[in-house]
Amino acid sequence: MTQQVAKRELTMSRAMVEAIAHEMRESEDVFYMGEDVADYGGIFDSTQGLLDEFGYDRVMDVPISETAYIGAAVGAAQAGMRPIAELMFVDFFGVCMDQIYNQMAKNTYMSGGSVNVPMVLTTAVGGGYNDAGQHSQTLYGTFAHLPGMKVVVPSNAYDAKGLMHSAIRDDDPVVYMFHKRLMGIGWMPAPEGPKTDVPEEDYTVPFGEAAVKREGDDATVVTLGLHVHRAMEAAEGLADDGIEAEVIDLRTLVPFDTETIVQSVRKTGRLVVVDEDYRSFGLTGEVVARVAERALDDLEAVERVAIPDVPIPYARPLEQAVNPSTADIAEAIRTVHE
Amino acid sequence: MVSVNTRKRMYETMVTARHYEERLQEEYLEGKQPAFDISAGPIPGELHLAAGHEAAAAGVCAHLRPEDTVTATHRPHHVAIAKGVDLKRMTAEIFGRRTGLCKGKGGHMHLFDPDVNFACSGIIAEGSPPAVGAALAAKKRGTTDVAVSYLGEGAISQGGFLESLNLAAVQNLPVVFVIEDNDWAISMPKGRVTDVENGSQRADGFDMPGVRVDYDDALAVYETAHDAVERARAGNGPTLIEVQVHRRMGHFMGDAEGYRPKEDVERAKRLDCIERLADDLREEGVTDGDLAELTDRAHERVEEAIEWAKEQPEPDPEEAFADVFVNPPVRGEIVSDGGADDADDLEATDAEPRESDADDGGEDR
Amino acid sequence: MSASETLVDSAAVWPADSMDVDEAVVSNWFVREGGHADAGDTICEIQIEKVSIDVPMPVAGTVTERLVGENDVFARGDPLARIDPD
Repeated sequence: MTQQVAKRELTMSRAMVEAIAHEMRESEDVFYMGEDVADYGGIFDSTQGLLDEFGYDRVMDVPISETAYIGAAVGAAQAGMRPIAELMFVDFFGVCMDQIYNQMAKNTYMSGGSVNVPMVLTTAVGGGYNDAGQHSQTLYGTFAHLPGMKVVVPSNAYDAKGLMHSAIRDDDPVVYMFHKRLMGIGWMPAPEGPKTDVPEEDYTVPFGEAAVKREGDDATVVTLGLHVHRAMEAAEGLADDGIEAEVIDLRTLVPFDTETIVQSVRKTGRLVVVDEDYRSFGLTGEVVARVAERALDDLEAVERVAIPDVPIPYARPLEQAVNPSTADIAEAIRTVHE
Repeated sequence: MVSVNTRKRMYETMVTARHYEERLQEEYLEGKQPAFDISAGPIPGELHLAAGHEAAAAGVCAHLRPEDTVTATHRPHHVAIAKGVDLKRMTAEIFGRRTGLCKGKGGHMHLFDPDVNFACSGIIAEGSPPAVGAALAAKKRGTTDVAVSYLGEGAISQGGFLESLNLAAVQNLPVVFVIEDNDWAISMPKGRVTDVENGSQRADGFDMPGVRVDYDDALAVYETAHDAVERARAGNGPTLIEVQVHRRMGHFMGDAEGYRPKEDVERAKRLDCIERLADDLREEGVTDGDLAELTDRAHERVEEAIEWAKEQPEPDPEEAFADVFVNPPVRGEIVSDGGADDADDLEATDAEPRESDADDGGEDR
Repeated sequence: MSASETLVDSAAVWPADSMDVDEAVVSNWFVREGGHADAGDTICEIQIEKVSIDVPMPVAGTVTERLVGENDVFARGDPLARIDPD
């Protein structure tokens, strides 16, 4: 009996770890620092299994001193190493942002390009499990807004691995934001979609290239992270009603792929931007502005679907009220389609 | 010498806190078998329980008045109970209910009870600066109120804590910093993240008293805290106390503790601060019947709180859009004085929620 | 069905610490039906309460049938998959 030999599938966390392990094997300069990254393997499995292969010297548990160890990653990177530092939840950036945006992000520019900071800052983002105001944010816009950091947001295992290879090899600082809900952790089940076929060999996903996840002529949906999967679900549902939405996964915010979005809007004339970050002064406004600058004449209707300007609440009905759902996205697509 | 009555009060507080955590654990794990799913069950979100930490809460808070401020950590319930936080409304908050302390917005890591000046925060060492601020307010206003900042031993390397020690010392503020040393910062044993043997040594660099209580003996904690609180009330400045406690449960309820030797868990359970205090009370002539009475009363109070909380309504989704500012515009509309009844209800801080609360929230839109 | 068909036994990977638990959930499959894996490759992940366990392929071969679906509950000792060994 002849059988089709399917490729293996991986969860997003395993794909991410595979890229890190590969780069650590290739170069002694690559090492990982963070809280609970050694024995625990990362609270969200971001370093699962690395300790066994590389030991405590290269998979380093550090004190709860984010200013010190993220700043130390900057210094080690400037000394020629390629550190990966993990901020356990992006919400904790408040205690260490100075090292991130005044050192990591600016040193290359302030030195007139004579210094580079080839480090990766990994961090867990996102809500959807009722962890309230200090553990549920994405803050995509905050990091993308401040100049000097490349910012990537994988939505699936294939991209997670390729973007991690690109991030570690990049000579600039890269903020790698992984959504907890997409990691495929046993105790936090993922939606359908983020687990994908992943090649065993190394490969890169280039920065600045959005992915068209679904083609359609009726509306363009631009999103990232967890909401790629919600947008796909919404689009599939609307297809039954004859509405074909094109879904674009941004994948990287800095650099930003304006061209793919503009091309799509020239075709559809209708734009929906979906974001799990706050609505005002953020990603949704940025995407709309870029399209308006380039393709205003083609733009017939715009909707933004994002977290309203309140902190993330705790109780389930409250969090559900603020975090964009599949139904919210479908409604926005219908609105621009009308 | 600690009076028998004080000892009995502390015992009741500790038994209440222990039973509370054990009961919350049961409730939390409902719907999370056979596989643990953080999103399932009656209690939303993460849950960090403090079983084994009770002596550090009871021994310190026994000296506090409602006017004194306490800031606790992501593991706050035992301290909240010892500080006299409204147990029913705290429980309703943990269950994500509308009549909870924070109307279901904060949850178990973000409990606020201004009636007894209690607050907690989910990020390491975040409570220290606000405690310093409460103490600063007390000093400026000339009261004898004090502030207590709780933190774990994992927090002693965090900048916010160290800066707070310095500010409190240099301003001679009435603050008591209390480190609960349970040996583990999630999976990180103390020895791997600091070279000092005791967290109380952090005080040395700021020229303030640093005292360690080597085992979680509620009486020793009580006596140490007595000196620190009196010192603060008298205007003589801050003190740092570290108490050895024991983590009887995982860091959070989804923590399989694969990193932790089984013997360490067993040891934590064997060294039980509540049993220690019970033995002490027996030596003082308190009978097992007396202890059982205290225990029964504590358990009854916990059961009542949980039962009440579970009967409370969930928040109306529209309430998500209120409270970001005081007297908020709801979804872009300004709530006029004349039509602000609903907004007033959302602001209600009554100890007992109004009956009408469940029905009329969030109609402004 | 091949005479040499092998089953993946869930009891074989059950940790000693979890012997008081009788049920678990398959949290992730990594090999599709018809997919090939080498001996020792992780073919799926199971979740027993809080504990996550990787299930290795017992012999090199083809996973002909997944007997427990993703997110489905099974009992300790239930077979997880049928394998056609190389």
